[in-house]
Amino acid sequence: MNFTFTKQEEAFRLELRSWLEENLPDGWKAGNRELPRDKGEYSKFLRQWQRTLYEGGWAAISWPKAYGGREATLMEEIIYHQEMVRIQSPPLVNYVGIHMVAPTLMQMGTEEQKRNFIEKILTGEHVWSQGYSEPNAGSDLTAIETTAVKDGGKWVINGQKVWTSFAHVSDFCFLLAKTGQSEKKHEGITVFLLDMNQPGVETRPIIQMDGKQEFNEVYLTDAIAYDSDVVGEVGKGWAVLIALMLHERSGIAAQVFTLERQFDDLVEMAKQVKIDGVPLVEDPIVRNKMAGLYARIRGALLTYYRNITHTLKNGRPGPESSLDKLLVSELTKELFEFAIAIQDHHGVMTEEDAISNKSWQEGYLSSFGVTIGGGTSEVQRNTIGERILGLPKDLGR
Amino acid sequence: MDFSLSEDQEMFRGTLRKYLNHVGGTDVAREFIKGNTTLVDEVSTGLAELGSTAIPVSEEYDGLGLGPLDLVPFFEESGRVLVPGVQAETLALAVPLLEKYGTEEQKKKYLPGIASGSITVTLAWLEAGKSYGPDEITCLARQEGDDLILDGVKMLVPHGDVYLVLAKTAEGIGGEGLSLILVDQTEGITTRRLNVLDETQYVVELTMDQVKVPKSQVLGAVGQGWDVLQEGLLSFNAALSAMMVGAMDEIVSMAAEYSKIRIQFNQPIGRFQAIKHRIVNMKLDLETARSLSYYANWAVENQTADREAAVYSARSFTTEAFARLAADNIQIHGGIGFTEEIDCHLFLKRARYYQNYLGSVRKSRERIAEGLDWSAKKSERDVVSIG
Repeated sequence: MNFTFTKQEEAFRLELRSWLEENLPDGWKAGNRELPRDKGEYSKFLRQWQRTLYEGGWAAISWPKAYGGREATLMEEIIYHQEMVRIQSPPLVNYVGIHMVAPTLMQMGTEEQKRNFIEKILTGEHVWSQGYSEPNAGSDLTAIETTAVKDGGKWVINGQKVWTSFAHVSDFCFLLAKTGQSEKKHEGITVFLLDMNQPGVETRPIIQMDGKQEFNEVYLTDAIAYDSDVVGEVGKGWAVLIALMLHERSGIAAQVFTLERQFDDLVEMAKQVKIDGVPLVEDPIVRNKMAGLYARIRGALLTYYRNITHTLKNGRPGPESSLDKLLVSELTKELFEFAIAIQDHHGVMTEEDAISNKSWQEGYLSSFGVTIGGGTSEVQRNTIGERILGLPKDLGR
Repeated sequence: MDFSLSEDQEMFRGTLRKYLNHVGGTDVAREFIKGNTTLVDEVSTGLAELGSTAIPVSEEYDGLGLGPLDLVPFFEESGRVLVPGVQAETLALAVPLLEKYGTEEQKKKYLPGIASGSITVTLAWLEAGKSYGPDEITCLARQEGDDLILDGVKMLVPHGDVYLVLAKTAEGIGGEGLSLILVDQTEGITTRRLNVLDETQYVVELTMDQVKVPKSQVLGAVGQGWDVLQEGLLSFNAALSAMMVGAMDEIVSMAAEYSKIRIQFNQPIGRFQAIKHRIVNMKLDLETARSLSYYANWAVENQTADREAAVYSARSFTTEAFARLAADNIQIHGGIGFTEEIDCHLFLKRARYYQNYLGSVRKSRERIAEGLDWSAKKSERDVVSIG
């Protein structure tokens, strides 16, 4: 057992830290971490941030050097996430492109696809979204109804996608569509690299319960793709999807470290806020419950470390990442619920009327998304039950 | 970064598991409950022969000179089959304290015997109608020349060869004036076996009537027993957590296996999400507990600054989770889970026993808060007042 970082890893951390100090957006350094509300400004701001990361060599650290990456080790990726969470950096607008699409293209894309897309993903010129979910296919992606029909040299695509993150600012979409019927549910699905800037693609925002807009509905009416836009083989999109998911090897890290930071913020809030003259942190009931929550969050973080160790030893992540995802997202929800519950009547007030500068109320509302996005807690439980514990599959799957 | 037990530690686990399965697993506990102690004696000897009891004892006193993490496989595997006995008290409480505070004479007297498995040591702390608090000790150790004369009654004391008795040697509050005294089986000591929920425990009421022990039997400085005990409890609770993790691991296996073979409505019940998801929740608790336990033992071994929060996080979470899992296991087994026939009840009773053994969840959580220095005074920002 060893929790220390190597000299090289610490050097990597310091290099990143000093780069961030030089290059973070101005408002960020001053403590104003608001993203522009205007869609155009928002997109421009985040693309500029990715451009800055790219120029510093910090946009896609795990990529091969040949494609502009650093060939970072898994531990370096983890340190990268730790540091980004620590300074609360702006989000990566092209997360899908960098962590999922480009690595998948490197593995199974054609030479032309690699040439056309990979560098532009890195620079932020092309922002990507992923078009998986549909109104009738959320957790069960084999139920998608969007069709792609061959018409000479092109494919005509019709259907509707939903929960498409960043679609409103994206240029391309990694799209799943049905290209055939098959007895086997995983067959007959094909992945297309769909150009979002065409008449057949209409994006409508979905406003979340926390007032934010991060995802969209995408309507496809005779949208066009070409043979050259197919990834892998026609009808074998499921294999592409699996390959893509495996590329996101350190994806959960950002959430783990964010949860840890949020707990520190919670303790700080409990030190600052007094109810009936008693600081929350010294109220025995609050203290007791907060310690209980601490133990569980600490347990989740340590479990993540244990799973990382497993990945380092085996060279690839296992189904344990479902365990991390489930623990971290459920605890995030509990943390925010607890944070506003202890604020007494102030717990219901928001924005400038809330009791601390950080809006726990906004976080509370946002937290309801984390146990749904990226696979619901129920789907994660199925995965853990079946793949880790070997329990029988649900009927119909 | 390497958050796993070493290959040697895992190999030792394999050896222990093979041995404990070979001697019948929970049969050892079941025989003990029936009053037949032959098998448990045989197993205690067997475990000692495998080197278990020598692990934490330094080489100078015939031990292996290893640390708390090396004991983790032993405690997990013992916990898995609910081996009766006071190995945690002996190896994780008495040994570290003897190693650190013991006099040369005390070490010579006890450590080699512990290493060979012939001596067990337990803790005599609680008194009737009292709590585990420092101001609750009435048991008196009066000084008389070079001797101490002990008088008092201790409750819920696990049966052992030697008792580490927490007694008053001077007046004081908050633990001041308390001493830890090594008391051998001697004249003036009577024990009465208590009926407890977990029948795998041999627990006594210990009465000391004018028990005379030399002053040299005090462990650590006279009057400093409370602080010494707190330190010992760190390694003890880390060990106890590992023992509970072993039991929890077995519970999850039991529940998962049963859900694969039990057919209802023409399906194995593990196919139903109501059952499947419950077992997954048990698994989440297990893995959380295991992570906390490993880290707690690592923190104790390396004397890290966060060890108090680490140990009590493990202890409080694991204690609650063990009880929850044991109860869930009965529910998943249905009617058969409520019978004596299978092991569900053994785990439940053990979980219940540990919940209030040498501390409580509430106290453990307070220790987390203390360990993390949670105090309004520590805030760097201004205090906001409401209400």
